[in-house]
Amino acid sequence: MNKLIKIGLPSKGRLKDESLKIFKKKNFSIKDSKRKYLSEIKNFSLNEVVFSHAREIVERLADNSLDLGISGFDLLKESLPGIQKKIQVFSRLNFGFANLIVAVPDAWIDVQTIADLEEISFEFKDKNTGKLRVATKYPNLTNDFLLSKGLTQYKIVNSLGSTEIYPFTNQSEIITDITSSGATLKANNLRVLKDGNILKSSACVLVSKKSLKDKNKKKTITSLLKKLN
Amino acid sequence: MKSKKYSEALLNLFKKKGFKVKEFENIIESKIIIERSGEIFKKSLLSFEDDNGKNFSLRPDLTISSCLDYIKNVKRGIYKYAYFDQAYRRTFGKESLVRNQLGCEIIGSSNLQSNAEIINLIDQSLKKVIKYKTTIKINDINIFYALVDSLKLPSRWRLRLKRHFWRHDYFKQLIKRLESNSDLQKNVFELDKKSYFKMKKLKKDKMIAGRKINEILNRFEKKIKEPRSNINGARVAQIIRDFLNINCPLKNAKNELQKFEVKNKINLKLNQFDVFQLNLKNNNAMFSTNIGRSAEYYTGLVFEIYKKSKSFNLASGGRYDNLMQTLGAKTKVAAIGGAINYDNILKL
Repeated sequence: MNKLIKIGLPSKGRLKDESLKIFKKKNFSIKDSKRKYLSEIKNFSLNEVVFSHAREIVERLADNSLDLGISGFDLLKESLPGIQKKIQVFSRLNFGFANLIVAVPDAWIDVQTIADLEEISFEFKDKNTGKLRVATKYPNLTNDFLLSKGLTQYKIVNSLGSTEIYPFTNQSEIITDITSSGATLKANNLRVLKDGNILKSSACVLVSKKSLKDKNKKKTITSLLKKLN
Repeated sequence: MKSKKYSEALLNLFKKKGFKVKEFENIIESKIIIERSGEIFKKSLLSFEDDNGKNFSLRPDLTISSCLDYIKNVKRGIYKYAYFDQAYRRTFGKESLVRNQLGCEIIGSSNLQSNAEIINLIDQSLKKVIKYKTTIKINDINIFYALVDSLKLPSRWRLRLKRHFWRHDYFKQLIKRLESNSDLQKNVFELDKKSYFKMKKLKKDKMIAGRKINEILNRFEKKIKEPRSNINGARVAQIIRDFLNINCPLKNAKNELQKFEVKNKINLKLNQFDVFQLNLKNNNAMFSTNIGRSAEYYTGLVFEIYKKSKSFNLASGGRYDNLMQTLGAKTKVAAIGGAINYDNILKL
């Protein structure tokens, strides 16, 4: 009989701080040390807290090495359909707000909508300079969105960070990225297209569907979620 | 085995008409397809990367394989391909990754005879092998393009409608947008006018993210000169919808289209199209303006063959005169081809 539940929490940044706050607010004590990635909720039944990268939490919930966790809604939606169907969104949380958007250089004054972008993409094709390049950390969400809006002639450039400078360093022409206030985009001479909102994201509590099929685990998970809610 | 019996019989009939049965390479460089089709097709490719970071895919389609073979090995003149083999595509539902594809292509010929040759060959061979009566549906997508050119629309909208004709769902969205005039943003224009005057003072060939200042300003000016507020979007949308409902015997097609021209006060310049002179052996030939919208590479005549008693698709194909060049041919090479819907035939 396996009663141990494994909880994944973000290992750094605001997502981690805000996640720990939720537990603290409900009088759950989690020992946190910067270098230690394993911990536990002291005053709750058998459990293990694993501090991981937010993206990894989604994958570990899908392969059931975690039972529940906190991660970004954007990261869940970016994962493959096979992963998403193994995870249940229990609740959206009141932090980690951000929008995934399509942004173009501010000086592209003739481009206000995705329909404009579609025309520009054919200009690139006709000029034989290659495809319009879209830098992003979210290739799946970007592809689904752009294709649904009629854009077909483009190429994804996978970015790991500082995506905002890609259009000005000849690494891409446009970007999709997460933004909360828009200040970084503005500082880097980019602007969001009028119909370029791909996804509204926030942190959320995610549960592995496989864990919910295990009676003992379900009981413990439900009890914890009730207390956190 | 039914599968082997049909494929052998069909390939033998193709061979008798001078088509050469070919086997193609299983793996192709993904770049060739992605550079052509963009990300839309990339999703369907079964790809992998080698140690040098080069991306390869299992062949997704045998028409593309025929073209690549022609570019590599034949290079010029007319070549008639026949094939029966497997193509591989990533699937998102319960469909199989492996598709049996049986087809034929005439590469290097642009004439009306080769159009009739492909359609008659596939249709007559099917009739002999599966022993069912068939109906052929014919269309020439250039007639749709002529319709779009004849309508009172901004040139940007004309291009948009032509480019997305093959994407059914998105095309419907476009028509709705056209109907409602919902993409006008006068307020945004006003804001950008300030930047426009600032940018006019800059060097015209300065590049901003892959585009010259000049290109940006020219397009901005074009947008201002071509506002959509003065077009009757609802009427244009209705004309397009009515056009896509035309379905009549091929022998009456020109007449039907002429009536459509008179009714809507447009000129489709029908004399430029040779689809009406197509010499088909099958008397059950229909003209349907709404077919041949499954692949973006079709450039002219398209056809679909059905089992006569049911609307059961047996084969489809069309002319693709620009595909070869986009796959790497140095000059334009006209081509037409068709594939038999083999899985459907096995269900008969």
